[in-house]
Amino acid sequence: MERSIQKNGLINLLALLAVGVGGFAVARFANSLAGQVAVVFMALGILVAAVSWFQMRLEDRERLEKLELEELARTHGGAALFEAKDAEVFPAQRSREQFERFFVPVFTVILFLLQAGGASLLWRWLSRTTTAAEIKEPITGLALFGLFALVLFLLGRFSATIARLEQHRLLRPGASYLLANAFLSFIVMLGLVGVWTGFPKADFYIAYVFCVLLTLVAVETLLQLLLEVYRPRLKGKVERPLYESRLIGLLGQPEGLITTAAQALDYQFGFKVSETWFYRFFEKALGWLLLLQLAALLLSTCVVFIDAGEQGLLERFGTPVTGRTPLGPGAHLKWPWPIDHVYRFPTEQIQTFNVGFTPQAEREREPVVLWTVAHMKEENDFLVANRAEAPLVATNQPTAKRTPPVSLLNVSVPVSFQITNLVEWAYNNEKATNLLHDLATHAVVQYLASADMNEIMSHTRLEMAAVLADQIQAAADRHKMGAKIVSIDLEDLHPPVKVAGEYEKVVAAIQIKEAKILAAQGDAFRTNALAGAQAVSIVNDAIVESTARKIDALAQASLFTNQIPAFEAAPSVFAERAKMEMLVRGTPNARKYLLLTTNTHDVLQFDLQESIAQSMLSLNVTSPPKSTP
Amino acid sequence: MKRNPLTLVIGILLIIIFGLWLFVFQVRTTEVAVVTRFGNPTRPITEPGAYGKLPWPIEKVWTFDKRVQNFEDQLTERQTRDNFTLLMAVYVGWKITDPAAFFPKFVSSDDPIKEAERQLDRLLGNAKAAAIGRHPLSDFISASGNGTNFVGIENEILTTLQSQVQANNYGLEIEFLGIKRLQLPSNVSQSVFDRMTEERKRLAEQLQNEGDAEAQNIRSEAGRKAQEMLATARGQATEIKGKGVAEATKSLAVFQQNPELASFLLRLNALEGSLKERSILVFDQNMPPFDLLRGGTTNWLSK
Repeated sequence: MERSIQKNGLINLLALLAVGVGGFAVARFANSLAGQVAVVFMALGILVAAVSWFQMRLEDRERLEKLELEELARTHGGAALFEAKDAEVFPAQRSREQFERFFVPVFTVILFLLQAGGASLLWRWLSRTTTAAEIKEPITGLALFGLFALVLFLLGRFSATIARLEQHRLLRPGASYLLANAFLSFIVMLGLVGVWTGFPKADFYIAYVFCVLLTLVAVETLLQLLLEVYRPRLKGKVERPLYESRLIGLLGQPEGLITTAAQALDYQFGFKVSETWFYRFFEKALGWLLLLQLAALLLSTCVVFIDAGEQGLLERFGTPVTGRTPLGPGAHLKWPWPIDHVYRFPTEQIQTFNVGFTPQAEREREPVVLWTVAHMKEENDFLVANRAEAPLVATNQPTAKRTPPVSLLNVSVPVSFQITNLVEWAYNNEKATNLLHDLATHAVVQYLASADMNEIMSHTRLEMAAVLADQIQAAADRHKMGAKIVSIDLEDLHPPVKVAGEYEKVVAAIQIKEAKILAAQGDAFRTNALAGAQAVSIVNDAIVESTARKIDALAQASLFTNQIPAFEAAPSVFAERAKMEMLVRGTPNARKYLLLTTNTHDVLQFDLQESIAQSMLSLNVTSPPKSTP
Repeated sequence: MKRNPLTLVIGILLIIIFGLWLFVFQVRTTEVAVVTRFGNPTRPITEPGAYGKLPWPIEKVWTFDKRVQNFEDQLTERQTRDNFTLLMAVYVGWKITDPAAFFPKFVSSDDPIKEAERQLDRLLGNAKAAAIGRHPLSDFISASGNGTNFVGIENEILTTLQSQVQANNYGLEIEFLGIKRLQLPSNVSQSVFDRMTEERKRLAEQLQNEGDAEAQNIRSEAGRKAQEMLATARGQATEIKGKGVAEATKSLAVFQQNPELASFLLRLNALEGSLKERSILVFDQNMPPFDLLRGGTTNWLSK
């Protein structure tokens, strides 16, 4: 019995049309790029299925025409009827031949242009940054694409089997496109699963892969067109439709690859590997093995391992399981996904966030950290009060130009915390870490706004850390965060880089001041020490002089006492001797002039001026040489 | 035709999975949900669990996180009561309390939570401006005894925001609010930097001058002490010398035994002392001992 394949072709065409429209709607709704690119394959499949269906109809008409003519020939038995030309006698055959000769090549060229143009446009479309949008409703999208994949797979498999068993060459292109689109829909579904499970780029990358695939298909179509020119035409040989893609066929029926691989193995090993029991078992049980694998995968979701330092929250249909929350480190049994779900949290781990700065990894290893050199990626300027200074500039200045009585300060505060109550941490706040960061920042801003800059930069630094820790902990408790503040480190506390140099100059000025004072103190010590010594010297000189005076007086008195008898004994001689002794003793250096005058009336003149030095008198001055006329 | 059991099993499995995805949905304990039928909200779900629904596009499930949401508004410039400009950003904690009321107001957006936060941001703009305008700068930054008035300002903003949210029945509740950032406009920040620089320069100069003054004081004090010590020493020396003179004077009585001799000796000593250095003496031949030269054979005879 000969099956009419027209109906299959039409069903394939309608199925591709329906899935194409549905796929486009779902892909646009879900913002799936891969889905939208897959729809292009569906559109190409619709064209191919439509052309092959039309060609099937032509072949059917030709077959009916031949049957009718054979019947007429048997009835009339004359040959006159067939004496006319073929074109007149076999119009259906003529139509089919014309269709294959002219329309099919033209359609294949159009198909190539669509494939190549489509690949190029899609590539450019995907390259635009605005193309990628956030995936919406991934679950709905993947459910519907899964449905499309199932429908296309069942229909395609059915048509491919009929085409293979009953040698319907025209049913094959449509069936290949059905299976290929089933495969592509399945890949789109995997992409959406990827997005759903936290790989947002999965859909985007799959769309690019589809583009590459479309390019390959276009290249194949072009090659087919070129080879068609040189293909030998053998009468009676069933020709493969020009628009049929082997690549699409391979994509839709991957088992063909396995067959090819088996043949390669047979050739390589020299015996029929494909006929061994293992290969046959593997070939038969591959599907079941895959199912078993999936079942094992599902069963593996019945056990959850909580790592050391972690705790887990077990939820059944979204509800925390009473008595089993939180799960501590170790293995735990649970119902498989999607009934039970475990959410893990690092409860033992000391977690840290930064207030007031963004660290810069390469600067963290620098051995010297200076105020005047930026050592963070970003440092926030906090407003801080200034108790000593409130220099309000004249209030008649424009508002924006007025300098408020505040200073700016860079503060780097790493805050370390630990989750102590997992239920509170996970269920009370949507972004608990962000909230803790906000609370810590609030505490820092509030503290600085009411503190004196110079005080917190010097002696109240430790006090500030303690107060901040208390305030942040109190805020966390007030918001039922289930977290403990482990430490607050005031890692950095300094004026902004712009003015840090001036602060260092003040420190330098303090040192200069100290140096000047120390130098003056040194001078003072020296002055006082010398004065003390001089004072002692003066007193000692006085003592010496006084003592000498006393001793000399006593000695003179003693001498006088002894001289009295001598004087009384020979007054004139004593006096004369004393005079002479004095003259000898007292005038050795005196210049003496002795006048031995005979005439006392002479007038003598003495020039008592200082005499010219002898050296001056003996100065030898040479006379200038006489010039000769 | 023989059916492939594998295909059948896969088909059934896929149908079950698709059926579950299409007809069943879960609501977590952290979520609330609203089910819409052809766009109309039919039932809000606030308790966690698994629920059935008709497949899309007949029914659609909208789930929202019911935990406290936390967002930070824009850093906006506002004017204080004493005409200073200030940039302030706050963080706000809010949560969905009535999904049925929340849903229709924000569902038109791709992300209703973000849309709700945008709306709150707009409301916050007014509340913040009003609160900042009522307070002087010293209520925000002050190291004086009274300190800042953060809590009061935050409560004012929170009260205003809560009243606006309640009045519009957004289906959400403001849980808390706090000031997260306080800054100055960039040109004002620059003037603050300038002032800080000048302040430091003045302080450095002050310190150096203080050093000079202190050094001068120390040197002056040391000089004073030195002069005092020398003066004291000179006084002591004079006193000692006086005592020496007094002691020496006691021996003068001895000379009174023979005043003539004493006078002769004193004059002789004085004469000896006065002749010691660069004296010129002119003697005639009658002066002893040169008188010994008279009457002898001298060179005038040759004249």
